[in-house]
Amino acid sequence: MKERAIELTVNGIALNITVPVHQTLLDTLREQLGFTDTKYGCGTGECGACSVIIDDQESLCSCMALASTLNGRSITTAAGLASNGLNAVQQAFIDQTAVQCGYCTPGMVVKSTSLLRKNPNPSEEEIRKELEGNICRCTGYDSIVKAVQQAAQSFPESDTQWDNAVELKAGANS
Amino acid sequence: MSSRILPNFDLLVPNSTSEAVNLLAHYQERAAILAGGTDLIVAMKMNYESEILISVSELDGLDYIDFDPNSGLHIGAKATVSQILDNADVKQHYPALWQAANVFATPQIRTAATLAGNVLRGSPAGDCSCALLALGARIVLQSTEGKREVAIEDFWTGYNQNARKPSELAIEIIVDAPQSATGSAFHRMTRVNEDLAKLNGSVRLDMDGNVCKSARIAMGCVGPTTLRLPKTEKLLQNEEITPELLAHVADMVPTEISPIDDKRSTAEYRLMVSGVVIKRLIEQAATAAN
Repeated sequence: MKERAIELTVNGIALNITVPVHQTLLDTLREQLGFTDTKYGCGTGECGACSVIIDDQESLCSCMALASTLNGRSITTAAGLASNGLNAVQQAFIDQTAVQCGYCTPGMVVKSTSLLRKNPNPSEEEIRKELEGNICRCTGYDSIVKAVQQAAQSFPESDTQWDNAVELKAGANS
Repeated sequence: MSSRILPNFDLLVPNSTSEAVNLLAHYQERAAILAGGTDLIVAMKMNYESEILISVSELDGLDYIDFDPNSGLHIGAKATVSQILDNADVKQHYPALWQAANVFATPQIRTAATLAGNVLRGSPAGDCSCALLALGARIVLQSTEGKREVAIEDFWTGYNQNARKPSELAIEIIVDAPQSATGSAFHRMTRVNEDLAKLNGSVRLDMDGNVCKSARIAMGCVGPTTLRLPKTEKLLQNEEITPELLAHVADMVPTEISPIDDKRSTAEYRLMVSGVVIKRLIEQAATAAN
């Protein structure tokens, strides 16, 4: 087949879409669905600008995944983290000025949220290790690490935040 | 070549292993198998083309990691490196594999990349591959004719080449069960963490007190495939691990490898550090065993 109909949940919205089989998830998000918050960096999994969260917890490079093989999965982009106002990581990036040009920021925010969902109380070393796949060419990494440390104080996310996210998804699925 | 646009291909998404091997029997070399895609998709963006991709994404039941003290560790072909890292049995019983998974690429790549894919790629720089060679693993291949198991030391037949036939699907990796006092360790050398290794090594020791009953030693980035070091292994067999023995070992290691100069390191450097890496890994594995 050259095209495939799939079910994909993006930022809490269940979608039935048809994608060209050779289209990367990154292009599906940006070109087909308009989620341009996910950035195209290197295209080969080195830089992390295209990071998304898959199935609510793990991070994934969307430039190396084919949307056509992600039938039934759930994808969250940086925009999806802000459906109820900024999440704690996004606010902390602003508070700590962990942004210069901003191109890596959506990937950094997504990866940091994934990290804190798996490990709500990381050491500095753990934060630096988990962010190895996200490259920033402007700030250096200290302010980013500080932002993750600040955000960690708001994790685990409150039950209300999780419930809202789950309800949004359930509503979208029904 | 484009890092953004993939060449055209036909995608097939079988629901079962039997459907997948039937497709492979039909298409043979015309089809490539897509799992995590962290190698294949990048290769397709660079220079590789395949008329047909067979995705394993909807194959049922191949994402397990099961440990049994007698039969060893059974890892389904879809199990990711991230699953290896989160598995308590792997961490406890197969520290070399866990340590390799822990430094493997980046978190985003570990989410997608499968352990089986790392072995099938056959890169001499594969970290998990190096640990699996030391630990003793078998690759289970299935075709319409049935199943066969290939020992990992016979699996890589050359640079980026392996013993899988075009009609076969890798379905499982089995790692030998640890003995009562088995220890293992993995180490790799890189300039920065997310680099591919300039050299990696792994050691498995079956110990009795301070005496090594048998050893398996693997080293990567020093030949066309990840290598076992049989002469070095033999030096250790039924010997007490002493500083003098380890000095002999460190001298023997460079005689068994044939590194080259490339963009990540030089042959000279690799030869110089190889003995020390293995010596330290033996100490670490011996400690882990007792």
